[in-house]
Amino acid sequence: MKLFWKIAINLFMSLLSLAFLYPFYWMIVNSFRTQEQMLRSPLRWWPEEPTWEAYRSIGELGGVSLVSYVTNSLIVTIFATVAAVVMTAFGAYAIYRRPDLPLFGAISGIFLVSMMYPAVLLVIPVYILMFKIGLLGTYTGIILFLSVIPILFLMLLQFFRSIPTELIESAKIDGASELKVVLLVVFPVAKPILTTVFLIGFLLTWKQWLPVMTIATDPDHYTLPVALLSLNSELGVNLQSTMALSALTTVPIVVLFLLTQRRIISGLLAGAVKG
Amino acid sequence: MSKTDYWAPALIPGDSRQGALQQVWANRTLYVFIFPFAVTMIVFGIVPIILSIYVAFTESATAMSKAPTFVGFENFRSVLSDPQFINSLWSTVLYTAVSVLLNVALALGLALVLVGPSASRFSTFYKLALFLPVVTPEVATFIVWKWMFNQDFGAVNAALTSLGLPTFGGTTTNVGSFSILVVVELWHHVGFYTLVFLANLQLLDPSLDEAAQIDGAGKLKRIWLVWIPQLRPSIAINVVYATIEFLKTFTAVVVITSGGPNFATNFVSYYAYKKFDLAQYGEATAMATVLFLVVMAVTLIAYYFNERRDYR
Repeated sequence: MKLFWKIAINLFMSLLSLAFLYPFYWMIVNSFRTQEQMLRSPLRWWPEEPTWEAYRSIGELGGVSLVSYVTNSLIVTIFATVAAVVMTAFGAYAIYRRPDLPLFGAISGIFLVSMMYPAVLLVIPVYILMFKIGLLGTYTGIILFLSVIPILFLMLLQFFRSIPTELIESAKIDGASELKVVLLVVFPVAKPILTTVFLIGFLLTWKQWLPVMTIATDPDHYTLPVALLSLNSELGVNLQSTMALSALTTVPIVVLFLLTQRRIISGLLAGAVKG
Repeated sequence: MSKTDYWAPALIPGDSRQGALQQVWANRTLYVFIFPFAVTMIVFGIVPIILSIYVAFTESATAMSKAPTFVGFENFRSVLSDPQFINSLWSTVLYTAVSVLLNVALALGLALVLVGPSASRFSTFYKLALFLPVVTPEVATFIVWKWMFNQDFGAVNAALTSLGLPTFGGTTTNVGSFSILVVVELWHHVGFYTLVFLANLQLLDPSLDEAAQIDGAGKLKRIWLVWIPQLRPSIAINVVYATIEFLKTFTAVVVITSGGPNFATNFVSYYAYKKFDLAQYGEATAMATVLFLVVMAVTLIAYYFNERRDYR
């Protein structure tokens, strides 16, 4: 009976897992096929004669080279994530240390409220705001806007709460300043979680499209997901190019995730209990 | 995890008698720490919301000008008397209810399976497969799904046909369109909720389970009476988080259904976005504000109940 359940559970989980992975597989296989081949047999497991045609066709999109979209994605994602991790780590630490200080409660309250507003509806106000502060159509504007990543705050706060208070208190008693405590006691302990938070921030920022589309005024500043979306809304069916660009947008993330999954998953799982 | 622990550093004698300003000065380093975070959050998180609510009270034609005309609640009145918006609101609520229920229930089930010994050998593979859709860019994966459900190229209908089953209408029917969004978004989100449950399951005190086991309680009974009650806070968190997430559903609609057919998936975010396109800024932001209030209300109610039960 026990064995039966074991087999049944594993069979179910395997089928479910393969179903979850299938869209990725379908995307990659079909990015190496032609439209006619697709129409004939949508379910093929392997391309008839693998062709790079689709990848060649996206070398330039909307008058902008693919290289530019890739570079934009990298620049925006890396800078926004670094900014987010640094600002959020200090902010979350301060709130963890003294949640009772004047304004601190308000700041975390405001933070929760801002998570609830439908991001899509910020399109116009963000546009106006960026225009007013002169950051419309700039990388700085895009990066600053993307450097607010709510989940990082929650993760860091959770982590700081798990640090034994004696660690901080004893450093304080030894006469260390708050800055020293952070830099020499807290952040070294937090190094693994800071890396994890960076990786998660990277994954989340890479996929952003609406703020980028809003703040960028021309395709020269578009990132990969935005380019993909404009390809999707173009008239006419160009399935292969869409699959090729989807694969280019997705595969780096899949690779990064698989390389660091232990970190990301265990960070999410155990970040709060381990120190 | 207890709440008192984290408040503890604050309870230094004499603190309460200090003036606010004195307190700020004494902790100026912490204020310096929080400053960049607070400023970016306020400027890019809060100011746009306030601007958006402000626009909701102005006439659309003048909203973008230097001196907008205030019209009071006119936009709200017009939005709330628009049958299409009421439809949109209801379909959003229905969609959210269905999705939250499916996501949280499935995630809880999957987490209970993953934490158990039966699935332990391949649990890393299962976790990876479930979590991959969470981290991959949804614009890309939703486009793939859109094509998989396509009538001519799609893998879904091809698979159904090869199994001798009737084909699926996909995005051409109301129910089809709605269900595609439910399925695709489940695929996208459920791994996240599963991991949250899994994390909390691993934090559980094993002694309770052992005690129940010694008392002769069966597996299902222990799950129901020992594990689920302990998971209540994380169920609450997942429900609230999922509710916020699904009420705001937007990307999937943009990519897959464009609100159709017959406005069946014209959820509030998307409808408001369309209003923007038509330069009806006042109506669009009024819709945004209504949705925001709904989200706030849901969250506050859930929070209130959860807090109250915590201190019972």
